Amino acid sequence: MIPTNSDDLHALAGEYILGVLDPRDAGEIEAALATNAELRRAMGFWEEKLHPLSALAPPAEPPRETWDRIVARLDGAARRPTPSLWSRPAPWRWATVGLAVAAAGLLVYIAATPPAPPRSFVAILHAAQQEQPSWLATAGPDGLLVRAVGAAAPPGGKAFELWAIAPGAAAPQSLGVIPGDGVFRLGHLPAAIRDGATLAISIEPPDGSPTKQPTGPVVFVGALRTM
Amino acid sequence: MEPIACTGALRVDKQVDSGHRATRRWNPVRDIMDDTQTATLSSTGILIAAIGRGSRAALKRLYELESSRLYGIALRIARRPDIAADVLQETFIQVWQNARSFSPERGSGAAWLTGIVRFRAIDAVRKLGREILSDDPRLGDEAIEPDVIERIDAKAEAEALRRCLEQLDDSQRRCVVLAFVDGFSHAEIAERLAEPLGTVKSRVRRGLLSLRSCLQS
Repeated sequence: MIPTNSDDLHALAGEYILGVLDPRDAGEIEAALATNAELRRAMGFWEEKLHPLSALAPPAEPPRETWDRIVARLDGAARRPTPSLWSRPAPWRWATVGLAVAAAGLLVYIAATPPAPPRSFVAILHAAQQEQPSWLATAGPDGLLVRAVGAAAPPGGKAFELWAIAPGAAAPQSLGVIPGDGVFRLGHLPAAIRDGATLAISIEPPDGSPTKQPTGPVVFVGALRTM
Repeated sequence: MEPIACTGALRVDKQVDSGHRATRRWNPVRDIMDDTQTATLSSTGILIAAIGRGSRAALKRLYELESSRLYGIALRIARRPDIAADVLQETFIQVWQNARSFSPERGSGAAWLTGIVRFRAIDAVRKLGREILSDDPRLGDEAIEPDVIERIDAKAEAEALRRCLEQLDDSQRRCVVLAFVDGFSHAEIAERLAEPLGTVKSRVRRGLLSLRSCLQS
């Protein structure tokens, strides 16, 4: 529960920025960011104000090959799975990426949809660096439906595979390969589908990842929110 | 997936190479990359904005300017060069992917980068388990003393923090520094200082609240 009292809220935001919170509390904060402007402001305050403390860590020369490894990653040369891809990417920092867009999309979506049944979730999946939604995911007691919003097709001979990462989970869970028509249905609701979970789509062989973990690049990502 | 904004990168890079400076309109990104002498920390935000438009040249420049500072932060937290190097790599991948979400009105570029590298480093040590402290001063294992804040930069922004940290109890200050600089959790601080967990939690919290009221005044 995110406190409404100003002192409590700022102390909690400060603890998050310090990094002392356990994963459960940190996850709760991340889930609240999209809707809590006061919390975002408090996080910004602490990040900015505490920043000079980082000068206490003496600078050091990184290994020389580090830049080449970064370039190789950006060039897509390193296509092997990197577990770190799935680490939480400092979520509070880009919780607001495309937030206005996502919120606008969500409003349109909600307006066009009959009243939601209990425990319903929605997620809008974006490509990195793109604000246009690429996939829309809706989940409820009847199961999960993920469908392409824009024109999205995997590269030749490949397929899109859908993954769920529960809040605090160490590894993604495969939900299956997305059919070629861009509509994915699941008749039940996996436990990983809950508020604050992340949905992601990676490029995999036609039958899906052979390793039960993503082997190709992650091309779309979005967070699930309770409707 | 290839970055969407690659056309922007082509445009910016081409301008840098084309060499018709006098006839071009002023462009802070291009000019900073033309004249590296002017690229100071304050240009970080401009570089990040250029990266957001897909400029690889800006990413490389940012790496040149910031990698040793960020690697130092990661090494201090992770205490292992291999993990710190992975953290640095991941940090720059994320900078590339998320630079568009950076807005200078919300804070400085340097603080933004520090936030990313600290988050990544803390995430890595919590996943991999922390190395036993080695008492090797080269790995930053020297004891944290209350006077450590004397080493904080004397810049104006740092001055306020230093002044406010000086007003905390030694015990509160030590907790805040161990958490921020070393990336220690509540439990790790408690172990390091041989104090009960509840005491540490309350010191961190009271320290933060005192800092906030001091920094706002």
